[in-house]
Amino acid sequence: MFIEVRDAKKQYGTGEAAVYALEGADLSLEKGKICVILGPSGSGKSTLLNMIGGLDSLDGGEIAVDGQKITGLSKKALTEYRKQSVGFVFQFYNLIPDLTVEENVEVVAEIAEKPLDTDEILKALDIEKYRYRFPRELSGGQQQRVAIARAMVKNPKLLLCDELTGALDTRSSRSVLKFIEKVNTQYGTTTLIITHNEGIAGIADVIVRIRDGKIASCTENDHKLTADELEL
Amino acid sequence: MLLRKLLRTAWSYKAQFISMIIMMTLGIGIFLGFNMEWKTIEYDVGNFFEQTKYADYRLYSETGFTKDDLEKIASIDGVDAATRYLSVNLEIKGDSKKALALDVSENYTVSQFTLMDGDGYDENGDGIWLSDKFAKLNDIRIGDTLTLEFQGLDISGKVAGLIKSGEHMICLADSNQVMPDFNTFGFAYISPAKLGEIIRERALNTVKDELKKAGVPDEMINEQAEKMLTDEALAEAADKAFLQINLLSALEKSELEDAVKEKLGKTLMVVPKEDHAVYKEAMGEATEGKAMGSILPVLFLAIAILTMVTTMHRISTQEKTQIGVLKALGFKNRTILLHYSFYGLFIGVVGAALGGVLGYFVCKMVMSENGMMGTYFDMPDWSAATPAFCYPIVAGTVLLLALISFLSVRVQLRGTAADALRPYTPKKMKKSVLEKLPFFSGMSFSTKWNLRDLMRHKSRFAMTLVGIVGCMILLVGGLGMRDTMAGFLDLLDNGISHYATKVNIVENAEREKVDKLIADLDGDWESYSGISIDGYTATLDIVCNENGRFRIIDENNKDIDLRDDGVYLCLRLADRAKIGEYIEFSPYGGEEAYRVKVVGYNRSIMTESVTMTDKYADELGIKYSVSAVYTNKDSSEIPSSELISGKQDKRQLMDSFQSFVSIMDSMVFILVVAAVILGIVVLYNLGIMSYVERSRELATLKVLGFRNKKIGQLLISQNIWLTVIGVILGLPAGLGTLYWMLTALAGEYEMKLMLGPLTYSVSILLTFSVSLLVGWMVARKNKKIDMVEALKNTE
Repeated sequence: MFIEVRDAKKQYGTGEAAVYALEGADLSLEKGKICVILGPSGSGKSTLLNMIGGLDSLDGGEIAVDGQKITGLSKKALTEYRKQSVGFVFQFYNLIPDLTVEENVEVVAEIAEKPLDTDEILKALDIEKYRYRFPRELSGGQQQRVAIARAMVKNPKLLLCDELTGALDTRSSRSVLKFIEKVNTQYGTTTLIITHNEGIAGIADVIVRIRDGKIASCTENDHKLTADELEL
Repeated sequence: MLLRKLLRTAWSYKAQFISMIIMMTLGIGIFLGFNMEWKTIEYDVGNFFEQTKYADYRLYSETGFTKDDLEKIASIDGVDAATRYLSVNLEIKGDSKKALALDVSENYTVSQFTLMDGDGYDENGDGIWLSDKFAKLNDIRIGDTLTLEFQGLDISGKVAGLIKSGEHMICLADSNQVMPDFNTFGFAYISPAKLGEIIRERALNTVKDELKKAGVPDEMINEQAEKMLTDEALAEAADKAFLQINLLSALEKSELEDAVKEKLGKTLMVVPKEDHAVYKEAMGEATEGKAMGSILPVLFLAIAILTMVTTMHRISTQEKTQIGVLKALGFKNRTILLHYSFYGLFIGVVGAALGGVLGYFVCKMVMSENGMMGTYFDMPDWSAATPAFCYPIVAGTVLLLALISFLSVRVQLRGTAADALRPYTPKKMKKSVLEKLPFFSGMSFSTKWNLRDLMRHKSRFAMTLVGIVGCMILLVGGLGMRDTMAGFLDLLDNGISHYATKVNIVENAEREKVDKLIADLDGDWESYSGISIDGYTATLDIVCNENGRFRIIDENNKDIDLRDDGVYLCLRLADRAKIGEYIEFSPYGGEEAYRVKVVGYNRSIMTESVTMTDKYADELGIKYSVSAVYTNKDSSEIPSSELISGKQDKRQLMDSFQSFVSIMDSMVFILVVAAVILGIVVLYNLGIMSYVERSRELATLKVLGFRNKKIGQLLISQNIWLTVIGVILGLPAGLGTLYWMLTALAGEYEMKLMLGPLTYSVSILLTFSVSLLVGWMVARKNKKIDMVEALKNTE
């Protein structure tokens, strides 16, 4: 399996204020698949994504990605893991406002070991014409495409998307999801999307449902749709 | 409830709140401290002068004043009191390195002393009233016998009381001495009755000498001398002793001069207290304090207020959502404004209270018996006075801070509650000229990012520069002052003075005897006396330096081969005439006026003087007497003589500067500490603000796989750029400030701006160190950044 999560546990706060974000979650995912994780607010889906992405550490259990155990890694090793293996896309893009589109992508290419060609990725996400613009000069959908380009330029093994359409209208959401499909097909990148939007689940190869910090279900999607076919 | 919110918000912005309180404390503290210092000088010195009836005017006559002269002057309308006065420097018998100014105030209505211990003044007393500081440092107690040498005579008496005197509040042997040194020089008073005895003894000795010369047998000399010493002869001798009249009067100088001329039928040298060394120096200190008080504190206060503007604006933008929530909950704009105005008010009140305490200590550090001025001023009472204008300024500053908060929040309250609830959006930025330059695209992303960040946050950028420039000004000013002083002392010690001992000659000494003494001492000499150049008081310096015991130098410290056909103006008088032009001066106490050609300029580091050779003075027919002889002989090798009023070792003179240097070192230390605090507080406050504003971007970089070190470098590199710019701007600003300080604060000396390479290096290195330290402190925070939390925030 490309991703293996075993008995993942995470608690925030202590005593009466303790919140159990993950309570023994288990998940396995094959390489190159698109996986959509669905769940209501507070179910633990963002926590799970953060653990897989090496942003946070588990209190119990373990996670392995592409055979590499990431639980227990040092901060330095986690940074290296994020640098080489993981691409992040956030709900609110988190682009660097003082860098242009091209620079936002290049800044990651500079630190990656084997980056993709910036021009190629800009073309792939159809943002080449905005390359000299600043993020604030773009629409939400365009900004999210820049965020995907930035995540993909390092040619990661794993693309993690946290509510990537949460701040977008339907049209922009569909456009962004088309590009997610495209990079998955073009680069074979394993993609994990967390969302509370059931409509997005249609593009997934695997649909995971999470509730109260546990994986409620993990099913193959037998009726996979294209982004154009989704009902958002 | 809102008060609780205020306190919690203050805690969450503790770095900003603490730094603003520190800045306010420093600003108000230094503002109050410096202004209290000069006000206290004026207040305490004024009180002491009033208490000791410090003379408003001093009249000088080379031939002395008779009792009749005194009566005439006392009868002038507007003269409240007058006394014949004597002040002469005498050596302590058996210790030629220690001397006293011996004073007699004949009718003790003017120029009195304050008794610190022992018996009070007695006009018929036989005792000596001695400076308490001199007594303490030389282990002399009440009842001890003190013997002074006076023109071959011994003046001996028991110490009756220990005193302080307004006339000697700054106790200097002569104009060459800069700082009092009570180890070697003090002052004392004797009664007119005791002076009468001394005069009588001296007159008797003179008569005996004459009888001896006339061949009268020894056994008859005493008897005949007593007979010859008539009351008239004694009165004449006393008249010659009193070369000075001190008086109290509210008359203008010109009015008094006219009245004196009318009463005595001759023009006298009338010196108002403003021109008397003690008053002039004391008020000079107050003026210097005022000058210092108008620049440094204003710099600190301005930086404090500007920091407040920048910080409150940032806080209010970060609080925008909370402001929106309060508005949406139904709080009136007025209530919200009042609540946030309390932020500024809180900082202002706490800063003003702490500043008041700091100001008091700054003032006391300067103005107290054990403070910096304690070594300069010798007075009994040391208080702490605050100028009245300081109160409204401090109150106004506190209110201004509240207003800054008010205005910062009012901007966020414009529009509807929904508008206020929307997060703050930074203003859109157009491409700067820099970005349009071809090389910009080739820059690294961190360079571009930092440059754009600076362009977008111009006020933060400007404030950081102000902090760095301020830091540099204080460092260059402080350390440069030390260098300049060191250069000044080196010039005085090794450049100008090539003698071992300066021998002061009594006034009206016979020239033949003086010439013999000069020859015996193998010395050079000079004569200095007061002159008026169009009403401006200066010193006429007639010199003969054939043996090179002292040098006359030009502005480049090169020797001047003095010409015998004109005069040299010191650089501070240079604007009075160009070379080749003529000036006219008249010596005080005489009717003559001399028109002389200016043939050059010289550096006269201690006095404002017009210098000429003795040959030229003789050619002009100027009457003068030798004031001092400079010799290579050690003072212990020079026997006492009626011609000598005192001897001063060069080493002793240079040592007297040491306390001055110590004061300066303390000031330099304060300036360096202030510079470092200013730098750290301003840069840390702005650095934290920058960090908080960019925390989301920094977290993103961290998520993308950037190492902490790389992100830290990014933050520090911005500080380094700003420091480079700040240093480039701060160096000339520091030099300018130092130049201003030298002209405004040390106008009495001709100091030349001198900065050693070490000062440049230390100033730059220290500024960079402060900047790097703060950059490192801020960058360290990056390690603790919570990527998940930072990225959760909504845009």
